[in-house]
Amino acid sequence: MKTPLLFTQNLEIGYVNGKPARKVVGSELNLELFQGEFVCLVGPNGAGKSTLLRTLTGLQPSLGGEILLSGKKLAQFSRKELANEISVVLTSPIEVGAMTVNELVAMGRFPFTGLFDRMSERDWDVVRQSLEMVGMLGFEERMVHKLSDGERQKVMIARALAQEPRILVLDEPTAYLDLPGRVSIMNLLHELARYHGKTVLTSTHDLDLAMRSADRLWLMSPGGKIINGSPEDLVLSGDFQRVFARDRISFDIMNGHFTVVDNSEGQVCLQGEGQAKVWTERALQRVGYSVSINNEACVGLRVVVSPVDSGYVWDVMEGEMKKRFFDIGSLVDYLRR
Amino acid sequence: MKPEKTNNTGVNRTGIFILLGLLLLFVVALNLTLGSVRIPLKEIFKVLFGQGGVKDSWVFIIQDYRLPKIVTAILAGIALSASGLQMQTMFRNPLADPFILGINSGASLGVAVAIMGAGLAGGLFIPALSAVGDLGLVAAASVGAGAVMGLILLVGKRVNNPTTLLILGLMFGHATSALVSLLIYFSAPEKVKAYSIWSYGAFNGVTWDQLRVLFPVILVALGILAFLPKGLNALLLGEDYAKTMGLNVSRLRTLVLISASVLSGAITAFCGPIGFIGVAVPHIARNLFKTYNHKLLIPAVVLIGAIVAVAADLIAQMPGTQFVLPINVVTSLFGAPFVLWIVLKRKRGATSFSV
Repeated sequence: MKTPLLFTQNLEIGYVNGKPARKVVGSELNLELFQGEFVCLVGPNGAGKSTLLRTLTGLQPSLGGEILLSGKKLAQFSRKELANEISVVLTSPIEVGAMTVNELVAMGRFPFTGLFDRMSERDWDVVRQSLEMVGMLGFEERMVHKLSDGERQKVMIARALAQEPRILVLDEPTAYLDLPGRVSIMNLLHELARYHGKTVLTSTHDLDLAMRSADRLWLMSPGGKIINGSPEDLVLSGDFQRVFARDRISFDIMNGHFTVVDNSEGQVCLQGEGQAKVWTERALQRVGYSVSINNEACVGLRVVVSPVDSGYVWDVMEGEMKKRFFDIGSLVDYLRR
Repeated sequence: MKPEKTNNTGVNRTGIFILLGLLLLFVVALNLTLGSVRIPLKEIFKVLFGQGGVKDSWVFIIQDYRLPKIVTAILAGIALSASGLQMQTMFRNPLADPFILGINSGASLGVAVAIMGAGLAGGLFIPALSAVGDLGLVAAASVGAGAVMGLILLVGKRVNNPTTLLILGLMFGHATSALVSLLIYFSAPEKVKAYSIWSYGAFNGVTWDQLRVLFPVILVALGILAFLPKGLNALLLGEDYAKTMGLNVSRLRTLVLISASVLSGAITAFCGPIGFIGVAVPHIARNLFKTYNHKLLIPAVVLIGAIVAVAADLIAQMPGTQFVLPINVVTSLFGAPFVLWIVLKRKRGATSFSV
């Protein structure tokens, strides 16, 4: 059996100097991180994800239990030793002025350079390799504050990689990014684990992306308990849906995403094939219909989508009434009335 | 590839350093010649190189008035700017400096307490202090400065807001000033006058004997700073990042505390509280060199600080007139609009250390 790179025994996390004096955020946490795996920490806001990550990276003390890294207690690592094992990317954007990408990534060499921070040839090699891993070669001399959010986040990941850690810990690295940026970062993390042997632990709110790219999920519920398993197992067991349960939001187990449940307009039957059917279905759900698809024994409101030379046409039928539309927009406008 | 050498900002850093060096020589030369009495440069060289044939009064003016004053100004400019740079990085606050955060007030409190406590009936502050007491004076001022700075650090750890930090400094400054006022209240009128003159700030009045104390003290504090650029650079990413990079943040903080409070404390003890040089010079350096890197910024603020202080003193002399303005009048007149500019620039969404 594989031994984990990092594991916790009855870990208790939280804060000590507040009111009340001890605020426990999570307890009885028994977690494992293996070499080369990509783990996503997911859970609703306020579940304590950041607290857990800060505790695991030694930025705040645990309240109880143990964290063992390579068989040694985390508390016994000096800051410098820990910097050789774990590096981080934090949520809050950094505030630096005139700093080039190269200079920022070179900061990752901090634990390796001497008192006067002189960079050796090898140090610069590592900087270059780190930039290559995140696909940011060619950006070396660009100013950090002039990069896009996504580019900046990649540079921050390169900085963390330049520290040559065994474990890379990220706290919501996709928080400020647009959708393509999110996909790109999550894919990058997946590749770092898969092709470069890094152990990557990240918290994220992008459930869909986490489920598609993570080897395992740590599913943190508001009570501070963590269920862990492969994304698919957690969905099939129903744990995933339970943790994120909200009124009128339901998890579509067939498509793997959350949807708003709204059947206020009643039922509609949809006939059609392929992409046109899928996107018509989404439009109908959006305006509040419950859709049954290709149901032959359908009565009442029916929508038929069929391909024509110029694209598609949509026919709406209800009893004697029949109407034809040439785009989904006008179809939806009509159905909304 | 040597990326350290490259710089895409189009800034010729060596060129700027040379220009700044020349500028320093220029303001020093100007300061030597100009004043209430105008002395030709040729005569000055004669005095500097010990040649005879110069009017006795000129020799006196240069040797015992203008030269020590210029050396003091250079030391003060260097010390205040280096202190301000460290504090801006450590507090992550573009407006941090010894004056604004009330650390100068701490220094004056230290001096006042030392004098009263030691029962030196002679007088308050420099005019009556013998050379024997100079080191004690520096120590007292540095301890006072360090105490206020330590307090701000301690309380400041709980607040992340730059504005709150400034308000904290302001309040500490008021509180310590009140204590100083209390001491003065129970002092003789001539001491009160001495204090008010001191509080205007001045580079003159520091003797060669006192400079023999001031110079090594400043040198030691700068020596500490020479070891800190790596840590200060890491701190630019924020304390959390710095910690995960293996930086011993509390040790760095202690060293900065010592260096910055000795630098500002020693100068405050001898020259009075001098405003705005500490806050302005680091910004000039960042703008001029387009860099964040303390390896460059430290030598840059040393040079620029010296230039600014000597130039401020030059303006204060109001060449051609018999008047001499208090140095603080000059630094405030130029410094206050500069700080306003920093604040307004920030409002436009610029980051705190952006150039």
